[in-house]
Amino acid sequence: MILVPITYRGGVYRHSEITDLIEDLGGYIVQKHMIAQEVVIQCFVPKDDVELIRAIGKPLAGEVTDSPLVGTEIAVVSMSLEIHHLPHPSCDIAEYVRRLGAKSNMVGMARGVGKRIAGLNDEERDVINEHDIAVYLLGNFETCIEHKMPVLLRGIEVPVVLCGGPDKDVLERIVEPKVDGYVGNVGRFMHRTKESEELSKLDEIIAEITWVLSKRREELAKDPLSVSPARLMDVIREQVPAILDVTSPTPLTVQMSGLRVKLPYDTYADVLRKTEIEDGITIGDIAAIEPSRMRDYIIVRVRPFSETNMVI
Amino acid sequence: MQAIEYFEVECTEKLGGEYYRQIANDVLLDHNLLRVIHKMHIYIDPKVPIFVAVGVLKKVTTLVRVGDIANVNPQEGKMTLAISDETWLAPMLKIFWDRFGKDHVEQPDRFTVILYGVTAGAREIEEIAIADPSQALYKDLIYALKCTCPEGFRVRSENYGAEKFSFVASEDTLTDAGMALVREKFALMGETP
Repeated sequence: MILVPITYRGGVYRHSEITDLIEDLGGYIVQKHMIAQEVVIQCFVPKDDVELIRAIGKPLAGEVTDSPLVGTEIAVVSMSLEIHHLPHPSCDIAEYVRRLGAKSNMVGMARGVGKRIAGLNDEERDVINEHDIAVYLLGNFETCIEHKMPVLLRGIEVPVVLCGGPDKDVLERIVEPKVDGYVGNVGRFMHRTKESEELSKLDEIIAEITWVLSKRREELAKDPLSVSPARLMDVIREQVPAILDVTSPTPLTVQMSGLRVKLPYDTYADVLRKTEIEDGITIGDIAAIEPSRMRDYIIVRVRPFSETNMVI
Repeated sequence: MQAIEYFEVECTEKLGGEYYRQIANDVLLDHNLLRVIHKMHIYIDPKVPIFVAVGVLKKVTTLVRVGDIANVNPQEGKMTLAISDETWLAPMLKIFWDRFGKDHVEQPDRFTVILYGVTAGAREIEEIAIADPSQALYKDLIYALKCTCPEGFRVRSENYGAEKFSFVASEDTLTDAGMALVREKFALMGETP
């Protein structure tokens, strides 16, 4: 069964019929927001049943859209958290990817600014590596970008999409080591993105992220994960009731090949390891449970079939 | 940028220069500084690296007086001030307290101040200077230039006086070359530092 990420948007009235339907079809709800009279459900559903959900949702004024970024956690890496880089463009981009279903976290570097003085510390590196993809937001000068990128990419293992002021072809030429995606003409600016030209630039960033992530999905498909992270999320939600008391907007953050569990590692790592998925197979058997560098959270990295020899 | 007579951003990278022109425009607009700047020249060379901003200010606005923000109505034994602009209310009250004493100053509501038993005439009250807006201007201008210049350029030299200003910033120690650039850029505008 191939699961595809979608967003359902509709009225609150009778929306439980949709949530029940998604679960009955074998889909997983990643996030559900109730905003006034509207409900937004981000979920994974079987590819063949998308039309069925669309048909059932229609009388309820529901709308189904493809959301390729649902189930991904994106690091928006800003060179600093000063007025120079915030709130534009960092927040605009972080907010835009969030609208399309991704969970975005902003990583503000301690010393990302400057040419000679720029640096990346171990905590920043580890936090970025906990995400599915990193979007680097750089400045306007190619001299600076060329000079500092080797330092800022040191130890980064996740795919990187790089946004900067120079044209795309210039970025492709000057950045070493090469990264996975480039978006030119989006450097530092001090105004809100509201012109149509600027909004189309944001769309370009999304297109680049989607393209890089689809390549990553193809790689993952060659050696499939032992369990879908979305399913793991459901299992934890059912069997570890403590997660229901977490007030964070996404207590369980689904990633492409893992899950961020917002419970303290020391107390809950063993509980998670021993949690049974089915037929005596526990989470510990098919996934690595590691401490996250983000607060005291837990990061669950699902092992591929080649390591565990099982897919459930 | 119509309010500024001369505004140039010079940069060794063409595209980068265009972006910085937009940034400088946005920052000056946000900080409401366009109306006070007469001429401005920015020079950036990321290879050195150095950022130089030089400029000339317009004649700074005059002092704010009580008459500018309030209507003074003399009455029997008291003077009622109807406030039209609250911006300078706090410094005005402070001056009144110092001059007349707190017992003689009352503020029954946001837009009314009453002075009791004051010997000064209405005209005299209206002429009392309450604030000098030019004092905050330097702070605002330097802050705006700090926002405009690349963030990594943390070694700075700021000069201000006689309606002219210069701002030099770099990642490295500033040398005499930076000061020479200031003179050179002032000369481009037809001014001397």
